[in-house]
Amino acid sequence: MAVFHRPGTLGEACALMAERGDAMVYGGGTAVQILEKQGVLFASDLVDISGIPGLANIEETSSGVRIGPMTTLRAVETSPLVRRVTPLAARVYGHVANPRVRNTASVGGNLAHGDYRLDPPTALLVLDATVELTSSGGTRTVPLREFFVDFQRTAVRPGEIITAVEIPRQDEAAGSWFAKLSSLSANDWPCASAAALVTGGRRFGRVARRIRLGLGAVAPTPVFTQVEVAADAGADEAVDAARQAAEPLIDPIPDVRGGVAFKRHLALVAVEEAVRLSWEERSDARGFFRDRRRRR
Amino acid sequence: MPEDSFETGVAVGERWARTDGRAKVRGELLYAADQPARPCLDVAIHRSTWPHARLVSVDTTDARAMDGVVAVVTGADLHAVLGERMLTGPAFADQPCLAYDKVRYVGEPIAAVIGYGPAAVRRAAEEIDVAYADLEPIHDVDAAIAGTAFVHDELRPSAVFGDLRHLRGKKDTNVNYEYTLRHGNSGAAAETAAHTTSGDFWCPPTHHVPIELPFTAAWPEGDRIEVLSTTQTPSYVRQTLADLLDLPLNRVRVRCAPLGGSFGAKMYDRLEPLAAALAWTQRTAVRIAVTREEAFLLTTRHGAAVTGSMASDEAGDIVAAEADVRYDTGAYADVGPRITAKSGMIANGPYRIANATVRSRCVYTNKPSAGPFRGFGVPQVTWAHESLIDELARARDEDPAAFRRRNLLREGDVAVMGTTMHSADFISCLDAVTGAVGWDAPLEPAAGRLRRGRGVAVGIKAVLTPTISNATLQLNQDGSATLLISTVDMGQGSDTIMAQIAAEVLCLGEGQVRVVTADTDVTPYDTITAGSRSTYHTGNAVRLAAEKMRDRLIGLAAGRLSVETTDIKLTSDGVVSTQTQETLTVPDLLLGHFGARGTTLTTEADFATSWAPYDKETGRSPQVTEHWFAGAAAVQLIVDTATGRVHIEHLAVAGDVGRAINPALVEQQLTGAAVMGIGHALFDELVFDEGQITNGTLLDYQLPSIKDMPDRITPIVIQSPHRSGPFGAKGVGETAIIPLAPAISNAVRDAIGIRFTRLPLTPERIITALAEQHTEGGTA
Repeated sequence: MAVFHRPGTLGEACALMAERGDAMVYGGGTAVQILEKQGVLFASDLVDISGIPGLANIEETSSGVRIGPMTTLRAVETSPLVRRVTPLAARVYGHVANPRVRNTASVGGNLAHGDYRLDPPTALLVLDATVELTSSGGTRTVPLREFFVDFQRTAVRPGEIITAVEIPRQDEAAGSWFAKLSSLSANDWPCASAAALVTGGRRFGRVARRIRLGLGAVAPTPVFTQVEVAADAGADEAVDAARQAAEPLIDPIPDVRGGVAFKRHLALVAVEEAVRLSWEERSDARGFFRDRRRRR
Repeated sequence: MPEDSFETGVAVGERWARTDGRAKVRGELLYAADQPARPCLDVAIHRSTWPHARLVSVDTTDARAMDGVVAVVTGADLHAVLGERMLTGPAFADQPCLAYDKVRYVGEPIAAVIGYGPAAVRRAAEEIDVAYADLEPIHDVDAAIAGTAFVHDELRPSAVFGDLRHLRGKKDTNVNYEYTLRHGNSGAAAETAAHTTSGDFWCPPTHHVPIELPFTAAWPEGDRIEVLSTTQTPSYVRQTLADLLDLPLNRVRVRCAPLGGSFGAKMYDRLEPLAAALAWTQRTAVRIAVTREEAFLLTTRHGAAVTGSMASDEAGDIVAAEADVRYDTGAYADVGPRITAKSGMIANGPYRIANATVRSRCVYTNKPSAGPFRGFGVPQVTWAHESLIDELARARDEDPAAFRRRNLLREGDVAVMGTTMHSADFISCLDAVTGAVGWDAPLEPAAGRLRRGRGVAVGIKAVLTPTISNATLQLNQDGSATLLISTVDMGQGSDTIMAQIAAEVLCLGEGQVRVVTADTDVTPYDTITAGSRSTYHTGNAVRLAAEKMRDRLIGLAAGRLSVETTDIKLTSDGVVSTQTQETLTVPDLLLGHFGARGTTLTTEADFATSWAPYDKETGRSPQVTEHWFAGAAAVQLIVDTATGRVHIEHLAVAGDVGRAINPALVEQQLTGAAVMGIGHALFDELVFDEGQITNGTLLDYQLPSIKDMPDRITPIVIQSPHRSGPFGAKGVGETAIIPLAPAISNAVRDAIGIRFTRLPLTPERIITALAEQHTEGGTA
């Protein structure tokens, strides 16, 4: 049974993380509690950071938003600021599990969990978010695209605590979509998920559009890719290009939710859905504004 | 009997609120584990990691030395004290509460640690060191029949069922029971048939997943044993524990609490034999509270293979039907042999069939034991016959609903197993559900990659017969009543409707009849709360006890008012003389009779059903059951051909309940069973790998979520009164789950042209089948 700590300052928390053998940060607890119940939690100490002031804020910065690690997923989903500055992030955070879990799970804990099926990383990958890590030795920043290093392993080093996630402002004219496909109950983990963001285009005098893709559940880690497509291409061409770009990244883990062939198939369906709807949103200004109104 | 002879007054047919609804939603209801009990030591169980192995040694030295541990008990320890009495089970005495010679499934209990606190005993249980000598494991039901490895060295039928006696001591088999039905010559008839369909069908094992986890506490009380347990079968548990500990029945007390769901999971031998054996041999109070992961190991629904065929002549009459059914009962028979016979006999469906053959077998394998589950084995055979008849209709180019309608059994028909149909209105059920989904209206095609389809299925089930119920009714001097029965309320609402039945007879209002929670020291014998039998059986006992009470009140009133008993009527105002209009309230009448306040007037009644055993040659019986459940389901759905997901637009379910004592509760039962059936149709299954459950957690075991609900569910109550049901009523707990999976599969067939024979219809199965259809034009 791990020893439970409830530090009042970040300094105390960092000190505990540095001193104790196998200390683990306790955020919302939704993942840690399950691991504990299953008897597969091997932490010597749990450091609950919910009592540290200032870790649950969402702030607008010059480049986007900065979200504290103890912010609940539900708070991100419903934040007017996040919805305005990075609507794709708000949308994807709203897809995690169910409202009870979203009201408890934390932004930092969600990422630190490092599961390959998580929803938020798909959006954070395409939005080029960064993670701020703090330890008794100081603070460093890791791009999210370098954060997931292996199956359930992240760039967080022993002693480090996630202290912020920064998401750059989303291009207002970008089209975006999140497709989450489950293979068993509709409320299950995704069997394949894809977030897409389509930027650029004639409006900026450029001939190409960029499709950015973040994929969940289809490989041992969340994965990212991007591809450029001519701005006057049709949605079908865009989808084909995106599928070709995504295909080499798809490396599914077979389990009760499906075998490799099925998951590979479903991953490409998710890519198609996310890209097609983003592309159409990008191409159809009216649709874009209609959707923005709905989201508010 | 004409319907109007069941005309009712104050209570029956009313939508009374559940008696426990308020306490449940406010979190005030005390479930078994919340009930006050004496301080108990905790128990953790060390479980087998092998599917099939001899136990070489069980070393408990390290566990015993750990902090907080009071005792460690192995199967061998209990066997030394209890001997062969340690083997229990409703049909076969084959299951030890702790394994002592060999283990037969991954997760089988081997030793129990008793001590202070769940964490301490769990840690100690991990320190038990077991040496195994592995035996050839049997994972598959057909391999079990054909193979030379055996789960049990010999068969051990329990003393309860006389028809199993001939199996005692039988060796070298994994088939513990076989039922056969022969009616006419199906083989010859099929040869000359115009159309024949056949298939190999499979339903996987599933788990019940009630919200409340199983729990048992037990302690010695002088020369008695007291047990508080989550069970649907308190009377059975009392008998089992009396046999186990060699005690007379009056020294065994089994107390219940309302259950937080069960669906068959909390029946017969679950935690009770172990808890009682530990408490009795260690002379201490123990509580066993299992985790969700352990609950998956306690019991499952039978996986079942059915090889079936159905044939019709040119005119569209069904001339032959055959079914070879193999139920995978796991390591212990539990009630599998009963399921094998009672579901086997209707494996060809509720149709007029000229020639029929059924072979139904119950087979041991090295998996957790399978036992009762809402539907009692019937959904598995219905999956086969409702798929077959659908294909047969299509082979004839006939509407599947119309083809069923023409061939369904009607009132007075003799079914293939020899019993006459009564109060089983399949036609009305079928018409109601097809009408609800607009069966005859043209189907609007879905856009793009979506395909829309409609499907229908019917289901039949016999009520468990013979069984026995008792009721004791106390009318309190103030006019309120207390009803003592051993029916267990597990969410089905029995406490509410039993009160309604008593209130109807005694002209009492809502809230005036309280039902006492089952306690074998207090409430009388009842076979089981299961198999949709309580409304009919316990309901009849309650009705009879209430009628005796009414007669006693009338007798007392006649004496008081000096009139003939025929002149007295019981009304909501009290007893009334029809001659003089003189009225006495019940409180006044009882006060006058006893001369004291707070007194009670008691009546009791029993109700039992009887059957005629199956003919040894043909498997037929003129009275195989007391009554039938008839149901139907129709569905309109959309299949996404890109993702393989099925989206249900409209699901209609109907059940013939005889008479709805409480229509609201009937609708909820129909709806609840239908939702459970959606899970079984689309994704709910236990997955095994080399005998190990790979999805035995709620992270991986999938149940329908709110997002899986159909856009619309229509429950329809059909009332074809039963001649001897209480006010014409029968049960309804299982009716809607029976035809659910084939109705959905038939709609998928309609949508994408593929016949599925294996459940569940996961997106992966659908996508794989679509790919094969594309390349080969085949079926799945």
